[in-house]
Amino acid sequence: MTQKFYLEPNVRNNLHINKPKQGDFFHNYSEYKVERENDKCIRCLICVRQCPYDCTYFDSGRNVIYNIHANCVNCKRCEVMCPTKCIEIRDWGNKFRDNAHWDYKHWSAIYKQADTGGIVLTGLGNDEHYKSYFDRMVLDASQVTNPSIDPLREPMELRTFIGRKPELLTSEDIAQGDKIKELYPNITAEIPIIFAPMSFGAISLNFQKGLARAAKKMGTYFNTGEGGLHSDLLKFKDHAIVQVASGRFGVNQTYLKNSAACEIKIGQGAKPGIGGHLPGEKVTYDIALTRMIPEGSDAISPAPQHDIYSIEDLRLLIYAIKEAVEYKKPVSVKIAAVHNVSAIASGIVRAGADIIVLDGFRGGTGAAPRVIRDHVGIPIEAALAQVDERLRKEGIRNQASIIAAGGIRGSADIVKAIALGADAVYVGTSAMLAVGCTLCQQCHRGKCPWGITTNRADLVKRLPVDVAEERCANLLMGWTREIKEMLGLMGLNSIESLRGNRLKLRGVGLSEIELKTLGIAQAGL
Amino acid sequence: MKIVYPVEERCIDCHLCEVACIVEHSESKNPVDAYFSEGLSFNSIRSSYTHEPNQAMADKRPMPLNRCLVEFGNSVSLSTNCRHCENASCVLACKNGSLYYDHEGRVLLNEKKCVGCWMCLMACEYGAISRNANMKNVPSLENNGIQHHCDLCPEREEPACVMVCPTNALAFEDR
Repeated sequence: MTQKFYLEPNVRNNLHINKPKQGDFFHNYSEYKVERENDKCIRCLICVRQCPYDCTYFDSGRNVIYNIHANCVNCKRCEVMCPTKCIEIRDWGNKFRDNAHWDYKHWSAIYKQADTGGIVLTGLGNDEHYKSYFDRMVLDASQVTNPSIDPLREPMELRTFIGRKPELLTSEDIAQGDKIKELYPNITAEIPIIFAPMSFGAISLNFQKGLARAAKKMGTYFNTGEGGLHSDLLKFKDHAIVQVASGRFGVNQTYLKNSAACEIKIGQGAKPGIGGHLPGEKVTYDIALTRMIPEGSDAISPAPQHDIYSIEDLRLLIYAIKEAVEYKKPVSVKIAAVHNVSAIASGIVRAGADIIVLDGFRGGTGAAPRVIRDHVGIPIEAALAQVDERLRKEGIRNQASIIAAGGIRGSADIVKAIALGADAVYVGTSAMLAVGCTLCQQCHRGKCPWGITTNRADLVKRLPVDVAEERCANLLMGWTREIKEMLGLMGLNSIESLRGNRLKLRGVGLSEIELKTLGIAQAGL
Repeated sequence: MKIVYPVEERCIDCHLCEVACIVEHSESKNPVDAYFSEGLSFNSIRSSYTHEPNQAMADKRPMPLNRCLVEFGNSVSLSTNCRHCENASCVLACKNGSLYYDHEGRVLLNEKKCVGCWMCLMACEYGAISRNANMKNVPSLENNGIQHHCDLCPEREEPACVMVCPTNALAFEDR
């Protein structure tokens, strides 16, 4: 070990040195402070090696480890890895005088923009203080008049068929058994939880492999996102939902056929109405091969799909994909939850989609402008309730399944979403949390200290595939058990009985119009 | 015989195995004490701020050094240590029998015998042997030190480095 190696921050791994320009304001302030108990610090330099943000460096002359607090993003990697637990990251009082109107978010963004003239980017999902309707809904339970069910002693059905259902099944059809001709292609998920679209490029291949393996283990599905299907994942093709986004990265007939279902991505909850952007320096050989673009070129998805300017155009694309897969796979359309979402959803179903994915404004992203992430879109609860109600009213609810996405935090959210009308849910951020994410919102920088949203070779190694597999599968297993318990206490023995069953929900602390929008009754009634 | 094998594709260059090794071979088994209060070491040889020799530490047992070493560079990293060969070159080269095989086949060192001639260090094909300059048996030779290599943690069932590795990048198995 050459000690000089650690002397200068920014030198490690030959990173580009971003020295603040003279006159830059933002670098003068820091959000977090890394507090180090120097008595306990044994100078093992683990924190120095683990920090990808050049926040920590070792001064061998003084034999002390120092921090550049302005670089700290509170990812907790050093705190967790320190063998003597001598590091603590704190919110620093290095802020302005308390101000209810101008908080850190506002002035830091202004400083950054005045320094650079750019758009403030961020990762993850909307973190503003909007009302969470999930937290204001409560579930029913069986008491004297009807018995609850013990899921440990009685069978509990979580299997979910996702896709278009027939209009009517007559007793003659049922008598024919498997020979019913008019059944549409469906995908079978053993649990109503599917991994959300996260592309290879936005996340590391190790994490995507882990998701794929966990999906296979638990009998559910993962989604490739818009980044194509890596050749290593071909063996999981029966558990892959492949996405066709506006960039059309890696899309061809083979890609569409190597799947369980195909998904057309119109919008993303974190950034409705804008496309993705994977900078050229992140497009490594593997990513270039999977996305079918030149190595090192920017992977920019346009904001709209340039062949979809109307519902009729969407129908053309849906049927083009159905033709390509010979009508053997359901086609899903993913939209962000926005105003008038129910009318949009109705149009999508009539255009021929078998599945609608609604992505709420809490949905995560690999990179999005902060202003868009925080201020565009509507809550998934309201969108889901309205879409379900509209499709039922129009009598076309059977023509498409609804998948809810965007900020699903636990099994209670899943049960509530299903009671509001979802067939299944997408979980993305929860899966990332399962493998160590600390919600530091730096996904867009591609230097994830936990090896999740990065493709830098040394950082990817921090998340081994089997660890990701085990932890994601454990999460799904835990949630499955909790969902079964919750179904049991409601006196239901099948997830189908809960689907759209809003009688099982009551609102607490919601106004009359909110209750009406969600289609639920006030608690106590 | 079980020895420690590195798994390159999992090693994340955190060097926790080195810390665990030092702590395991210290008296107190406590990281802070192992690094600071158990005798002379780079950390305790002088106080951080005054730059003066720390007399209080001078008489104590020398701080143990790490017996595994993480090699790293360009995103490749792995923890290396003694292979405990069957016909070990170091044992053949040792002139006074301070290196020996124990009943399980481990290559171990009799710390009291080693004179620091470094023939083992020359003979080892793997570069797994290093000098422990904190200890010496020949008073006339300053900073000569004694031989130093992985002893597979005789007090534990599984070596400390294998236990501590956060990504299971070390496998303790019989191949």
